[in-house]
Formats: sequence, structure tokens, C-alpha cells
Amino acid sequence: MAIDLWVVIPAFNEGPVISEVVMAVRALYHNVVVVDDCSGDDTGAKALEAGATVLRHPINLGQGAALQTGLRYSLSRGADYIVTFDADGQHRPEDIGGLLDTQVKTGADVVLGSRFLGHAENIPRLRRMILQLAIVFTRVTSGVKLTDAHNGLRLLTRRAAERIHIRQNRMAHASEIIDQIGALGLTVVEAPVTIVYTEYSLRKGQKLGNAFNILINLIVARLNK
Amino acid sequence: MIIQVLLICGLLLCLLYAFMQRQISRFVSEAISIVVLIGIYFVLFPKHTTEVAHFVGVGRGTDLLLYCWLVISIIVSMNLQLQILQLQGLITELAREIALQGARRSADEGSTGTPLGT
Repeated sequence: MAIDLWVVIPAFNEGPVISEVVMAVRALYHNVVVVDDCSGDDTGAKALEAGATVLRHPINLGQGAALQTGLRYSLSRGADYIVTFDADGQHRPEDIGGLLDTQVKTGADVVLGSRFLGHAENIPRLRRMILQLAIVFTRVTSGVKLTDAHNGLRLLTRRAAERIHIRQNRMAHASEIIDQIGALGLTVVEAPVTIVYTEYSLRKGQKLGNAFNILINLIVARLNK
Repeated sequence: MIIQVLLICGLLLCLLYAFMQRQISRFVSEAISIVVLIGIYFVLFPKHTTEVAHFVGVGRGTDLLLYCWLVISIIVSMNLQLQILQLQGLITELAREIALQGARRSADEGSTGTPLGT
């Protein structure tokens, strides 16, 4: 049976690595959508050259918004499965197969990658601590029990992608997705993945101080409901 | 006194603004008008603020005004914050539509629809 799987990669100023990431994913999966979040460099052009479909936000909206744009596009193209994948090279394309296998075996609506079930290469100790705090926070607020709350590698079935709507434009979306999974009653399982902490991904990635901003965003959003 | 003239002129401008807003929101327009009229009354009879203050348990009329002002400004800024969030949502939707319409497709998008590796 043909499976229509789309890989969505939100990207902002990832010119140095985006070609490599797109080509690595395309070696395994055909349909790669790069959402260029108004990069100032040549991220979009490089992604297109490497064979991805490129959507460009006219203004910078943040990673959450870029993911939602990618989900909308993939759904409109008839995707059965949508995988979210980070642009900085921290994920391994081989792990997508593991997520897919897990989905097929369990029938879950969402499969989340977990670095703590799998491997985290070169994870700095402070980062590990903050991630673990985030897991506790997620467990308390959403009621969803996970071993890794903030992993960019996820697999959504069409059914899940149609229901989830990411409104947190900036980085609070990772928690928001899990909140929605809990609120919508979607089934979720985790699958082990390997995160490669390269010098580039650590430099480009989340500053740890951002964890505080994310917390504030989530609290404001909750007041808004 | 000069200060009373200045304050009343300012409040009358607010009243004019409230009158112009009445087509957008009748409620807001009326609320502003009432607050402004109360304001004009207290500017003309400042001693009465102290009487009201004593009645609600505040020492001086000036303090009472300060507290009221604080509450009003918190409400106004929360309201502004909500409006900003709403606008942000609209801008996001707009930008997303533009991105979706301007999609640059790869040459072989969707050609197989099957993961090559599995």
C-alpha cells in the first residue's frame, strides 16, 4: 500500500545546513516541505535546489507558525502522515521509519520522538535538567505522560494533523501541541530517536533562558481561553 | 483657577472623543461619557472626592483617585494585550495564506507518494 508521508521542516536562517538536511531526508522520503520563516539568508533557495517544496512566510512568525503552515500545506496535498523535522541537523532521517513502524503497530494518532528513550549524543548537563523540568511541567498541565516533552521530531496521522491547530507562533508550540493532544483525546505513543547535538545545532538552537519566556507565553495563553 | 479650566478642557475633549466613538461601540461611548462627567463634577467640587473617599474608607480624595486610576489602567492594558494577540492571530493567518499561495514546488513533488526507503 502506498503511504503518502510528508516531512515538514520549519527553517529560519539555516542556509549552512539546510541542503544537507533536505537531501538526507529526500534520500528516504520524497515529499519534503521546507517552511522558510522569512530567513535573511538563502535558506529557501538552497532548500528548493535540494529538492524540497518551499513555502515562504512574508514576515517572520516563529517556528510554531511555520509548522502550522507546513501542516496545512501537506494536508492540502493529501498527506496520510506528516512528520515534523528540525532544520538544524539534530535529527536523523532514519528515525522517521521507526516512528512510522510504531504508528502502524500501535495505531496511535501521534508518535513523538523521545531522546530519552533513545540516545542523546553530547547532551549538555544543564540542558538535560531543563528538559526534565519541562517534562514534569507538561505532565502536570496537560496530563500527558511523556519521557521527552520538547522533541521536534514527531509523526502525526492525517486525523491528528486535521485536529491540531498550533496558535503559539513562537517556541511555546511544543507544549501547546501536547496540550492539544491531551485536550482532543488523541492517542500518543513515544518512539526512541537519536538527537545529535552538534556544535551548530547547539549554537542555533534554543537558548536555555528561553524556557522562562515559553512558560510566560503558556500562562498568558491559558488566561486567554 | 487655571488648573480647573485646563482639566475641564481636557475632559471635554474626552467627551467629544466618546461622542465620536458611539457608532463603533455604544457601550464604550457611554461608559467614557459617564466617567468624564463624574470627572468634571469632581474637578469643580474637589472637596467632594474626600467625602466619597471617607465613605469607602480611604483617607484622602487624591488617594482614592489614584487607586481608581490604577485599576482603570490595568483593565485598559489587559484589554490592549488581548487585542494585540487577536491581531497577531489575524496577521499569522494572512501571512500563512500568502505562503501557501506562493508555494514553490519541487519538480517531482508527489510523484511517487511512497517512501522510497521502506
